[in-house]
Amino acid sequence: MLTLLAKFLRALNSETGAWALAFAFVLGMIMGLTPLWRVHNLVILLIALLFRVNLTGFILSFLLFSGFAYLLDPLFHQLGFAILSAESWQPVWQSMYDSAFWRVLQFHHTITIGSVVISVAFAPVLAVVSFWIVSQYRRRIQRWFNQLRIVQALKANRFWAIYSGLRG
Amino acid sequence: MATQVRRSAVRWPGLAAFLIILALLAAFSWLLLDSILRWTFERSLGTLNGAEVNIERVDHQWVPLTIQLDGVQMTDPAEPEFNRVVIGQARGVLNWEQLLLGRIHFEDVVSTGIRVRQERESPGEVYSLPDKAAMQGWAKGKLADLGLEMPSVDEIISRVDLKTPAAIEQARAAFEEQQEQVQTALDGLPSKEKLTEYEEQVKTLSEGDVSNPQQLQQRMEKFEQLKAQFEKDRTAVQQFQEQASEAVKVLRENLDRVKSAPQQDLNRVEELMQFNAEGLGEITEVLFGEQLRVWSKYILLAYEQLAPMIARAADESVVKPQRGEGIWFSYTGADAAPDFLIKQARTEFQLFGTVLDIDWNNITHQHQQLGQPTVFRASADNKELWRSLNLNGELKMTDAGVDARQQWQLQGVNLSNIGLSDSDEFTASLINALLDSDGSVSLRDSQLDGSGVVRLSDMQVNAAADNRFAEVVANALETLQRLDIQADISGAMTTPQFNLRSDLDKQLGGALKSAALEAGQQELSALRSRLQSEASGFTEANQDDLNDILALLQDAENREQRLKDLLSVKLQDRLQDKLKGRLKGLLGDGE
Repeated sequence: MLTLLAKFLRALNSETGAWALAFAFVLGMIMGLTPLWRVHNLVILLIALLFRVNLTGFILSFLLFSGFAYLLDPLFHQLGFAILSAESWQPVWQSMYDSAFWRVLQFHHTITIGSVVISVAFAPVLAVVSFWIVSQYRRRIQRWFNQLRIVQALKANRFWAIYSGLRG
Repeated sequence: MATQVRRSAVRWPGLAAFLIILALLAAFSWLLLDSILRWTFERSLGTLNGAEVNIERVDHQWVPLTIQLDGVQMTDPAEPEFNRVVIGQARGVLNWEQLLLGRIHFEDVVSTGIRVRQERESPGEVYSLPDKAAMQGWAKGKLADLGLEMPSVDEIISRVDLKTPAAIEQARAAFEEQQEQVQTALDGLPSKEKLTEYEEQVKTLSEGDVSNPQQLQQRMEKFEQLKAQFEKDRTAVQQFQEQASEAVKVLRENLDRVKSAPQQDLNRVEELMQFNAEGLGEITEVLFGEQLRVWSKYILLAYEQLAPMIARAADESVVKPQRGEGIWFSYTGADAAPDFLIKQARTEFQLFGTVLDIDWNNITHQHQQLGQPTVFRASADNKELWRSLNLNGELKMTDAGVDARQQWQLQGVNLSNIGLSDSDEFTASLINALLDSDGSVSLRDSQLDGSGVVRLSDMQVNAAADNRFAEVVANALETLQRLDIQADISGAMTTPQFNLRSDLDKQLGGALKSAALEAGQQELSALRSRLQSEASGFTEANQDDLNDILALLQDAENREQRLKDLLSVKLQDRLQDKLKGRLKGLLGDGE
């Protein structure tokens, strides 16, 4: 975990693009909020691995939002139930249900569709907010942060050794 | 001059990593498939069952695609200490094509070693509790609740508000009141002397000469005054008659009430003793109810075990998801194949040491799409336990709920050593009997409606009791050779209610009443003597008073008659005749 945090700090302090980090957060958020064993998560994993998305940010985001997902499951279920039982959408669900492709995506599961809808809706917000935070951190906080006594003290311990080792 | 190398957006080693992860996932799933299947079956069956389901082992085979479950235990939500059904082994062949289309279709399922209501090693977790009504006791009462104790006459007398003393007290008050009223009326009556005087006065007025019209006028005026007095006295006599008649009526009623009260009291005491005995009139249900409950678990197996699960599977709102599970919606069209179907299944039930095969077709919760009901039938002849058994029925899910019907004919079941009661005061067991049964039952809107007959013949019952009352039951049971029990079936499908009745109830009711009355004979006789003595003492003492009033009434009638006679005297005509005669004489003398 320390290694993971160290890598994350390194990414923050490196030249990695702010959008790459923001995108990693979004992908990790979708994978964390939605049920893990779903085909769409394989696609997300493929995107995260194939494209230059920051993997540390992706994993941290996934772990963080997996915790939120446990708390939000009832909300996902309620939303998914409302969506899947909406009268006007029945023809759409009916035709999707007849398709093997959509069946494989398990859209007809309340928590799956509920969490997908919420995470996709939240994705642009998280992307913009993450980009802004990373940018602000690099512009204003990084130098001040490094000068903090506690950070100085930390630099003297094992965590800093790991961080430096990564840089090495 | 520094040159900036623009890195490609694609990370090709990442693709290799993805493929490795996929391969690991596949290998992981392959290796742990049985555990995953076991977990999946436990969760999904548990949700349908409403309580914990445990599966000992799951095995799979790829060609043909076969799944085998061993040691399936389904907790009874109403009694978590018991499994509602235990399946030794279930093996089914899955249809690949349908599976790829997201449907679970078993071509053939064979289940063996099925037992119902088996005690669990530890209580299972209940996910959705059945409603309170469904958890109520099945039998109407237990033997211990009936209290096979001889009714005590003294206790019953203390509970009965005896009518005899109350009737005597009421009659005594009525007598005093009526006597007072009669006496008041009596004081207003004209005396016999007064009546004689009236008669004398009328006689005086009607006799003697009337010489002129003035005399006639004077006599008539005097007579009119007397008549007014007669009318007044006659009214007083009539009022007295009315009062006395009312008094006689009231007193007679009270005396009659006093005379009949002892018998009514005795009847009530006996009725209460009989009522206590009638409490045991449901002895059929108490003695045979529990046993029939066990048998009914098999007869109504399809309803009790399968119908609730089918109903729950068909209704998303009923199946409350466990946390983090969610619900799978089904949008199967009316003409599409069902999502879940077992085309045919054979279930082997372990039943009283023998095996009963039940064949099933079309087990699904989407009968409307399938166009056929789930059909089940069992036919087994010449088994160790019975001579012949035919059980068949069908059930289907409709918009209104589970709609099902079944019928059964069971003949020649050999019963031996079946405990019927084992209380401190009464023990009974069926040593031997031959059982026949037939009946039918339907299920509509999840409510059972049906009836059946259980015929027990060649009965041999051992019964023992520790008091006279229970002894009556014991003796009656021991003399039983055959018993026809009528069973009405009703209630919810998961908790059928049976109303059992037989001749035994009526016979025992009479026998118990006789026994109670016989035992309480001495006390009843003493009660009878005491009540009759109280009643007769009162009636004898007050009969004279009644006779006095009757005599007064008779006398009043005589007086009224005399007054009536006086009022009917035609004095004017008589006096006018006299005056005319007198005047005629005077005129004749003048001529």
